Amino acid sequence: MIDQTFKILVTGPFAAGKTSLIQSVSQTQVVSTDVVTSGEESDVKAATTVAMDFGTYRIEDGEFVRLLLFGTPGQPRFRFMTNILKGDVDVVAFVVDAQATETHAAAGVELRSLLADLHVPAVVAVNRCDDVESARRLARSLGALSCEAVVPCQLIDPDSGREVVIEVLLTLLDVIERAGAEVA
Amino acid sequence: METVKHTFDSGRQLMTDRVPPAPPPAHSWSAPAASAPAVEDLPTPPVDPAAVLDELVAVVHGARAALLATTDGFSIASSSELPNEPAHAAMLAAAVGLGHQLVQMGDGNELRQLVVDHDRGLLLIWPLGGSRILAMLTMTTVDQVRLRSFVRSRAAVLAGSGS
Repeated sequence: MIDQTFKILVTGPFAAGKTSLIQSVSQTQVVSTDVVTSGEESDVKAATTVAMDFGTYRIEDGEFVRLLLFGTPGQPRFRFMTNILKGDVDVVAFVVDAQATETHAAAGVELRSLLADLHVPAVVAVNRCDDVESARRLARSLGALSCEAVVPCQLIDPDSGREVVIEVLLTLLDVIERAGAEVA
Repeated sequence: METVKHTFDSGRQLMTDRVPPAPPPAHSWSAPAASAPAVEDLPTPPVDPAAVLDELVAVVHGARAALLATTDGFSIASSSELPNEPAHAAMLAAAVGLGHQLVQMGDGNELRQLVVDHDRGLLLIWPLGGSRILAMLTMTTVDQVRLRSFVRSRAAVLAGSGS
């Protein structure tokens, strides 16, 4: 029996849907550090993550595969938490809100920086978007590579969150197969 | 916002109930400076939080600097000794956010204090009400009885409920 554990970094701009994603898919109680927002951010949403979210997802298909989902805060002032959490990550799940266009420029900078830094594949979850082509266009505009998976999703819907996780698992499978092929 | 306002309005009561928090380690206690006036003898407190933090550093023996922040990581005020570094407030918010979770690990219900004990002294972090955080850089010999007494006496300003 093989038991493999992978670390997934769930990151992206403020109010993109990172916490919703983890809460919708985690099979264990989510460790959440949400607090009430203040100032201008309270106009956007009522609560925000200040340290991290943590959830897990496990599948059993002849072998166990466990995902550890580490969610970051989205605001630049909490960037140090991303720097802490990004160590030894296997896949980045980058969440962006398709309709929050004012966040896209900074999101692109962040995504490109992460990909250049971590050298791991990314799955771009385009929240509040139903159209695959629109989601792909947005992901490419942010700097996602053409090989990177893109998932249009509605993260208020748990089923939609599971589609993102499935894409993460497929991406991991691809990484494992390519590593196996290189060894062979 | 109503919840936040309510929390601020009840700040004095919260501070009376919850500050001072858990007893500090024995080695960090010391007697107050002989010349320091009793907290109740201090002049009328200022209404500006930054002035209260400067006052704290001036009157509490062993206090080096202080910072008041929101629980979502914004700086409200700091004593003049501290550089204006936005990441400080964010780090305090993150630490308190994790602290609340760690309390559950110990079967607790309420975070009262975080202590960072380092080679240059202590960093004492106290949640104030539900929306603010007070952080104090101190020497290990800080007079924590006086510190708690001072903060309690300035609860209204620090917790945001006005004078």
